[in-house]
Amino acid sequence: MSSAAILMCRQLLFSRCIHAGLLSVGVQLVMLITLLLCVNFQLWHPLDWAADSLRQVCSCYPWLASMPLIVAVAFYVITLSKQRLSERRYCPTRYRWLIHHGPRKLLFLIAHVFVGYLTAWLYTTYLHTDYRHLVYKSFGQDCLNSYHVFLLGMGITSGCYYFAANYMRQEVAMEFPIIEQKRIENLRGVLYETLLKSPLKSLWVTLVYSIGFWLFGGLVRHRLTHLIGVDADDRLLGILDVASNGRLLFYAWLLTTQIVSNMHLMQRFNHVLLSERLPLVIARSRMSANASEQELTVASVLGLFDMYVAQCLAARFLYEHALCNNSTIRLEIFQLTEPGNHPANWRALCDQCLSIVATFTEELIESMQHISLIKGNESHLATTAAFIDKKGPLRTEKLLIRQYNQLHGIRPASAEPTQQWDATDSVRHVPNRCERAFIKLETMFLGLLPRLPGIVYLFAESDGAKTVFLVDNALHVIWLTQALAHLCVASIKQDRYGVVQDDLTAIIRALHRLKCELDKLHSALPSLRPSHSSNYIVLRGAIRRSLYNICISFHDYLGEVIPNGEELRQLQAFICHG
Amino acid sequence: MPALKHYPSINLNRELLNTSNTAHFNVGEIFIPVESESVLKRISRTFFESGFWKALDEARSARAREQSPLISTTADYFAHLLELYRRLKLEVFPHTQKLSAERIAQYAETRDWIHSGIRYIAWHTHLFKVAVAGVDDVVRIYSKITDKNAGIGPVLKSPTQTQITCMAWRPLCAFELVVGCHQGLCFWIIDNNMHLGRSINPSHTFKHPSNLPISSLQWNKDGTLLATASLGDRAILIWHADDGKIQPLKRLGPPSSLLSWSPDNDHLIASTVGHVFRMWECYDRWKTERWVCNSDSVQSTCWSPCGRFLLFVATKDPILYCIRLVQLHINPSKYDNEVMPIADLNACVLNDRSNTLIGGPAQQLAMDPLGKYLIVTFKSTNYIAVFRTYIGQYEFEISGGHYLSGESADEYPSYICFQPLNMDNDRSVLTIGWSGGRIQLYVLN
Repeated sequence: MSSAAILMCRQLLFSRCIHAGLLSVGVQLVMLITLLLCVNFQLWHPLDWAADSLRQVCSCYPWLASMPLIVAVAFYVITLSKQRLSERRYCPTRYRWLIHHGPRKLLFLIAHVFVGYLTAWLYTTYLHTDYRHLVYKSFGQDCLNSYHVFLLGMGITSGCYYFAANYMRQEVAMEFPIIEQKRIENLRGVLYETLLKSPLKSLWVTLVYSIGFWLFGGLVRHRLTHLIGVDADDRLLGILDVASNGRLLFYAWLLTTQIVSNMHLMQRFNHVLLSERLPLVIARSRMSANASEQELTVASVLGLFDMYVAQCLAARFLYEHALCNNSTIRLEIFQLTEPGNHPANWRALCDQCLSIVATFTEELIESMQHISLIKGNESHLATTAAFIDKKGPLRTEKLLIRQYNQLHGIRPASAEPTQQWDATDSVRHVPNRCERAFIKLETMFLGLLPRLPGIVYLFAESDGAKTVFLVDNALHVIWLTQALAHLCVASIKQDRYGVVQDDLTAIIRALHRLKCELDKLHSALPSLRPSHSSNYIVLRGAIRRSLYNICISFHDYLGEVIPNGEELRQLQAFICHG
Repeated sequence: MPALKHYPSINLNRELLNTSNTAHFNVGEIFIPVESESVLKRISRTFFESGFWKALDEARSARAREQSPLISTTADYFAHLLELYRRLKLEVFPHTQKLSAERIAQYAETRDWIHSGIRYIAWHTHLFKVAVAGVDDVVRIYSKITDKNAGIGPVLKSPTQTQITCMAWRPLCAFELVVGCHQGLCFWIIDNNMHLGRSINPSHTFKHPSNLPISSLQWNKDGTLLATASLGDRAILIWHADDGKIQPLKRLGPPSSLLSWSPDNDHLIASTVGHVFRMWECYDRWKTERWVCNSDSVQSTCWSPCGRFLLFVATKDPILYCIRLVQLHINPSKYDNEVMPIADLNACVLNDRSNTLIGGPAQQLAMDPLGKYLIVTFKSTNYIAVFRTYIGQYEFEISGGHYLSGESADEYPSYICFQPLNMDNDRSVLTIGWSGGRIQLYVLN
C-alpha cells in the first residue's frame, strides 16, 4: 500500500474524530443555552425571562468564556482519538503496561480534569450570585467562597470519576454497532441513552463527593486560603450544612450530570462516526493516475496492521458485501482484470485474508503453548511417549510410580522430564564447592524473589494473557472468515470464471485449523469461558459457522476439495454433528 | 407412504395426556377446607396461601357475602377503586398492559394457541431435524429414522420455558435451537452429549429488557443476528446472540407482533398489533417503509422463495394481498410497491360436501421452498387450501389447487410449515400440526 493511501486512511479516520469533537462541542453549547434558560426562569414574567436569556446568549461573554472549555474539549478529543487509532500492543506484564500506557493514561486523566474543572467554572458564572465567585466580600474582608470551591471540586471529581470508571483499567476499545443504521438515528439513540442514564449515575457521584467534601473539605479550604491570601468563611463546615443546602446539592448534581453526559457523548459520538463505512473499492480505477492514488482498496486497508480500526472497517465492509444478495462489489471480486484476464481482485483479497487468518492462527498457537494446562498435557504426553519408546516395561513402571508420587504430592510435581544419565557420556562435570554454593544461592534468590510483595503483580505474566489479548482483538478475523465463507458459497452461482475454486482447499484448511485450535482453548482456559469472555464465544461461533457454511454448500464436492484422510472425515462429521 | 419412510411418525396426543394433568396443580386444592372457619380467618388464610387478589376474591364470594355482608361490601368498593385505577393507568400508559395468554393467542400464527396440542414446529435448515413445541411447554426433537436411530431425539423441558410462541434452529449450526417463550429466549445446544429423555436447563437464556414475552423471532440467513418482537414493545430487537448485545429498531406506533426475514435477508417485515406494518431494508442502513393495513392488523405473512414478493393476510379480512418488491428500471412508476389484492378467500361451499365450508379469514400462510404452492389455513373452517403459484420476474399469480382435511371433520390445522430444501430433502414436504396433536407430512409434487 502506498504511503499516500496510508496517510489518506489516517486522515479520514482522524477527520471523523474531529467531527465527533465538533458535535460534542455543539451539544455542550446547546446544553449551556438550556442552562441559561433554566437559571433565568421567571414564572410570572415570561417576557423578561426570554429577554434576559436572549441577551445573555447574544452577548459576547458566554462565547468568550466558553473558549477555554472548547480548547479543553479539543484536547480531550485529540487524546481520545490518538488512543483509539493507535496500534494495539500486547503488554505481557503490568510493568510493561504501565510503561506503554502510563503516559497516555496520565495525559488523558489531565484532559478529564481540565474538562471537568472548566465546565464547572463556566457554569458557576451563570448560577446564583452566592455561587459565582471564588472570593467574596464579607464585612469588608475577602473570604473564600465555600460554595464555589464545592462546585469546582465537584467538576474535577466528575471528570476523575468518568476516567476511573471507563478508561483507567480498560483500553480505549472500539465498539461497532450490531446493525448499521443512518448516522442521525445512531446519534439520536446515543443522545437519548445518555440523557436518560447520566442523571441517575450522577446522583451516586454527588452523594459520595458530598461526604468526601465534609471529611476533607476543611483541609482543601485551609490550603486555598493560604494560597490566595484570604480568610475562610464558616459555611459548609458540617455534614448538616451540606445536606441541608438543597440548592447547592442540586447545582452539584446538575454539574455532574452535565460533565458525565458530555464525556459520554464525546466517547459515543466517536464510536458512531468511526464505525461508519469507509469509502473502499475492490480495485483501483485505471482511468486516472491521480485518482488511483486517492482510492483505498479493501485488500490494502486489510494490510494496515498498525491500524486496528481501519482493518476492522475493511473486514466489515467485505463481510457486508459478501452477504448482500445484489452486491456489485462481490461481482467485481469475481471479475477477471484486463489486460491478461487474471483474477487479480480475488487473488489480492484472498491472499490478504488467508495471510491474516494464518498469522492469527500462528500467534494463537504460540500463545497457547504458554498456557500451563495445555503445556502440561503436551509435555506429559511427550514424556510418556519418550519413556515408553526407550526401555519398555521398566520405564513404564518408573513412570507410573512418578505419576503416583506427583498425584499424591509425595514429590514436587514437575512438568519437565527428569534428567537421564547417559552412559555414552565419557566425562561428567561435577561442580566444585563454590559453584554449588553459587547455584544454591541463585536458586534461593529466585525462589525468594516472587515472594516479595508486588513483584509477581508487576513483573509476572498471567496464564494465557496473550491468548486473551489475541481473542479480544480478533474482530477483523471474525468478519473476514465469514466474508470468505460467503464469497466461496456465492461463487457457486456467480463465479463464472472459476477464480475461487483453486483456493477452496486453502480456505477450508485455514478455517479448520483455526477451529481446532479454538476448540482446544475451550477446555483449557477458564478465563475464556462464556461467563468471562464473550469475544471468544463470538470468534469460535463465527469460525464454526464459516466452516459449516462452506462445508454444507460444497458437501457433494468435499471429497474432491479435501484429499481423503482424517481432515475429510472430521469435516464430514462436523456437518452432521457440529 | 413409501416416499416418507425415513420420516418419524409424530403424535403428541398420548404424551400430552400423560403430562397435562400433572403439570399444573394447586396444593391448596388437596386439603378440605374447614367449614367452621370465620370470614376474616378465611380471608387471611387465602391471603397467605394465594396472595392478595385471591383474598379479595374470597372476600367478595357468595359465602362471605352471606356470612358477613359488611366485609363483602367493603371489598366490593375496594375492588372497584382498584379497577378504576387500573383503567386510568392503562389510559395513560397503554403499553403497561399485562400480556395475557389470550392476548398472545390473538396475534399468534398458531390457531387456538392456548389449547392447541402443537404450538410450533421448526425444521432445521440444513439437517433432518424437527422441533415440535407442545402445549405442555416441552420441545421434542425428532430426526431421520435409520437402522440405528428410531427418530426420537431429546426432550427439552425447563421451568424457564413456558408458553412457547416461536422457535428457530440457528442457521449454519448443527445443534442450536432458540425458543421464544414467556420468559424470553432459551438457547438449547442439542449435541451428542444430551442424552435421550434427560431434562436439563438451556445453555443460556436472554430476557427481554422489559421482561416481556417473545411473540416472534427469526434468525438471519447466516445465523449472526436474531430479530425478535414482543407484543408489549414497540421496538424490534436485533440480538447478537453470541454476546447477548441488543440493538433496538425503534419507531413510534403500536407494539410489534410478527416478524419475517426475506429469504435473501434484504428485507425484514414487521407487523404490529395495529393497522401499521413496516418493511425494513436491511442492506440500506435499515431504512424503513411504513404500510397501513385497511381492515386490521396483519395475521400472517410469507415470502416467495425469490424474495421479490411478499404475501400477507389481515386478521379479519378474507383477502390475500401481495407486495411486489421489484424495481422496474425501464418505466419506474409509483405503483411499484403498492399492495395488491390477489385472491378472495371468502368462505365457499365445497362441491362434494354441500354443508362444508372452506375459506374465510386466514390463519396462516406458507409457501413451499420451490415456489410452486401456497398453503392457507383459516380461522373458522377446518380445511387447508392448496393454491398453485406462478412466479414471474414482475408478476405473481395463483390459481386454485386442492384442499386437505384432517382425519375427522372436527380436526383443524394448528400450525403448518415446509421442510427446507437441503442435502436430505429435495421435495416440498408440507408439515401439518393438527389440533389433536398429530403431525402429518404431505409431499407436494
